[in-house]
Amino acid sequence: MSFRLERRLEVHWWNQALTPVLSILAALAFGAVFLLFEGFNPFTVYKALFEASFTSKFGITDSLTVAVPLILTGLAAAVVFRMGLFNIGAEGQLYLGAIFAAWAGIAIADNLPTVLGVTVVLIAGAIGGALWALPAAYFKAYFGTSEIISTLMLTFIALFLMRYLIFGSHSYWRDPESATFPQGRKIPETARFELWGNTRLHWGLLVAIAIAAAVWVLIKYTSIGYDMNVVGSAPESARYAGISVRRTIMLAILLSGALGGLAGATEVAGRSFSLDPNGLELGLGFTGIVVASLARYNPWAVILVATFLGGLRNAGVALQSLPGERVPVEVSLMLQGAILLFAIGGEVFARYSLSYSRSGKVVAA
Amino acid sequence: MTDSAAGSDIVPSQPAAIAAVRVTKRFPGVLAADRVDFHVEHGEVHTLLGENGAGKSTVAAMLCGLYQPDDGHIELNGARVDLRSPREGLAHGIGMVHQHFRLVDRFTVAENVILGDPHQAHVLNPREIESRVAEIGDRFGLPIDPRATTSDLTVGQRQRVEIVKVLYRGADVLLLDEPTAVLTPHEVDALFETVSAITAEGKAVVFISHKLGEVMAVSDRVTVMRAGAVTGEVATADTDQRHLAELMVGRPVEAATRRGSNPTEAALVATDLTVVADGQNVVDNVSLTVKHGEVLGIAGVAGNGQRPLARALAGTTSVDSGTVVICGSDVTGKGPRAARGAGLAFVPEDRLGTGLVPGLSLTDNMLLTRPRSFFVDRKAGRTEAEAAIESYEIKTPGTEVTAAVLSGGNSQKVLLARELANVGEPGGPRVVIVSSPTRGLDIGAAEFVRGLLHDAREAGAAVLIISEDLDEVRSLSDRVAVLYRGRVALEGNTDELEIDTIGLAMAGVDEGEAPR
Repeated sequence: MSFRLERRLEVHWWNQALTPVLSILAALAFGAVFLLFEGFNPFTVYKALFEASFTSKFGITDSLTVAVPLILTGLAAAVVFRMGLFNIGAEGQLYLGAIFAAWAGIAIADNLPTVLGVTVVLIAGAIGGALWALPAAYFKAYFGTSEIISTLMLTFIALFLMRYLIFGSHSYWRDPESATFPQGRKIPETARFELWGNTRLHWGLLVAIAIAAAVWVLIKYTSIGYDMNVVGSAPESARYAGISVRRTIMLAILLSGALGGLAGATEVAGRSFSLDPNGLELGLGFTGIVVASLARYNPWAVILVATFLGGLRNAGVALQSLPGERVPVEVSLMLQGAILLFAIGGEVFARYSLSYSRSGKVVAA
Repeated sequence: MTDSAAGSDIVPSQPAAIAAVRVTKRFPGVLAADRVDFHVEHGEVHTLLGENGAGKSTVAAMLCGLYQPDDGHIELNGARVDLRSPREGLAHGIGMVHQHFRLVDRFTVAENVILGDPHQAHVLNPREIESRVAEIGDRFGLPIDPRATTSDLTVGQRQRVEIVKVLYRGADVLLLDEPTAVLTPHEVDALFETVSAITAEGKAVVFISHKLGEVMAVSDRVTVMRAGAVTGEVATADTDQRHLAELMVGRPVEAATRRGSNPTEAALVATDLTVVADGQNVVDNVSLTVKHGEVLGIAGVAGNGQRPLARALAGTTSVDSGTVVICGSDVTGKGPRAARGAGLAFVPEDRLGTGLVPGLSLTDNMLLTRPRSFFVDRKAGRTEAEAAIESYEIKTPGTEVTAAVLSGGNSQKVLLARELANVGEPGGPRVVIVSSPTRGLDIGAAEFVRGLLHDAREAGAAVLIISEDLDEVRSLSDRVAVLYRGRVALEGNTDELEIDTIGLAMAGVDEGEAPR
């Protein structure tokens, strides 16, 4: 008796939609094993996790607050990954976006009306992210340099640049009054997103959703998106049709960088109100890769997945204060990692079906 | 592994070397093989003939272990075998020679021959292997230097390596999948001699083809398939090409040769065109003129500059010297959109991956070479795709499936529908370049495509056909040019050129000099 994979001749939408759902369930089962080892009741933990993130009012708004940058980094990954270009540096692009956004907030937005001030901050963030992606885009388009390596390396540079600006120097970004505990200089009120009531949720959510819609329109209905599809699927077809492969690759990676930078800008304008390395080094850019993969690079699905993962992240903190059971905060991160692993593994089953054969007879399962 | 020691006599009472017994294979929505019976005797060349999608490849795949039948089974020398992989097939003495070679370029011939052979010792004895390779080459008329590096070999020589490879493993049944597609006429003759030498040792050969002339020349028996079922099994001695074609298509076929128009002024003019790739002149000082209402056919063995020439003319590759003029405008180095703007339509050799984008829907594919606007005009694309499906009889579940799911013939139709739309009409293309117009198409579809090209010419378009199929070039073209190593080795009116003259030019032999 032996198992073998046979390629599905038709991949139906339900094969594809089932993959993320099943991988989440599998990851929860996987996490349950560890929770049991640690002496926790998985059901209690998962129930608490769910309540902390999705059923209480503040739980939901907090989850959505975390979802805002995740939607944007998820889109950043989605626009290029679907072309087979792997910009994994949204993390660094986010930092640069935050640096540019904080600068614009402090330097420009002070005397502007709020709407304009926030817009300037967002645009600056997008420019920052795009600029940080530019070397990777250029070297990929013109010399074929792996964008995976270059974007990752740029992320480390961005990380230390951001730390240096606050912790290592008396830069423009550092609050001059924070001598012992270095902090970023606060951006003025006119550069901040308005909060919703007494929650932490801010208008950045609508911006992120609007941008997801714009990305969807761009990919689906414009010739820019069309060119990206052609270059991603068959570069030789692009050359045949007279579509510039280089320009399209440059454009896609720059767009991805701009979306990563926007994520940094929404964090500055909606949550930290300053360049705050401690508050930004959360792996939001890397999580965007998970978001995009689970969303199968669909902008609308990115919103849903980002909300779910935002809740998971948010719940990590809540779990620690679970009465009587001190569940480590890492559980939520482990679950996130496990979901991605199962999703990648599950991809195989979306495209292939498992069959097993006994004495040469093949039975489709 | 048993080397066949059987004599050359066919003993009728002996069980068939290999047989498919009422094999059925289903794919979603398709019955690819429907209770097919097919048996090959020892020492026999048995052809599986059929149009594209008729199921001959499916049957071959089941014979060599690539697919397993849903129903029915395979018999070897009268005994049932269940082959679960090509490797198991080879272990049972069934060897497939694929149309697309599977050789490692940097290996020597001998190294390629033993590649993947589970019976090799862990420490190789190169000298012994080389002498066995040479011995097999001698025995079957496959002269080949075991120490030659594969990348230095011609296409014909590479095919010999593939055949030696399966013989080296002791195959008693050889499946040759469209083996002549890449060969010159002389190489085809040499291949047929090899096939005779192989069957003379009692081995069985399954020849998979849709070229009737070759089928008649090489096989003892022919099994014809249509739509997954066997429509007839005949001895070649008792049949002719017309009858085989009817069995294939299911209706009488006209073999039409259309010629005789009045070419007027020049539409496509290439002057002293040179393209350099990897330090070589892959197109070497080529000058060509195609007039309105004329078909020029470019013949030649694959890899003699056809591809770079087509791409240079269409503007998809840069030109190192010389000029390309389309309908009076110089488009040299201006890119494919400029060439198209001047009136060009181009059907490249690779359908999926160049002419069509595999990951895009048919609708989107129809828009690939259309003028563009900021928002993609899917409505126009869909209308065009629907019209193409209707008038070209393209078999597809709809306009929104990706091009990747179409069969070779259907994707070629989509491509032609896009490129030949409005040909000869105002605003439509006036110069048409088509590479391998009917490769992989069934007889009916090929007939249809030839008709299209003929109509394009009648509509006043200048048509340039580039094909490795010499018969096709000769039947379609008013004039023929032969490419050899990037140069035009011969050019003339089709009616005035002997097939042998063309064949020699394709092989790079100057006239008067004898072939090898």
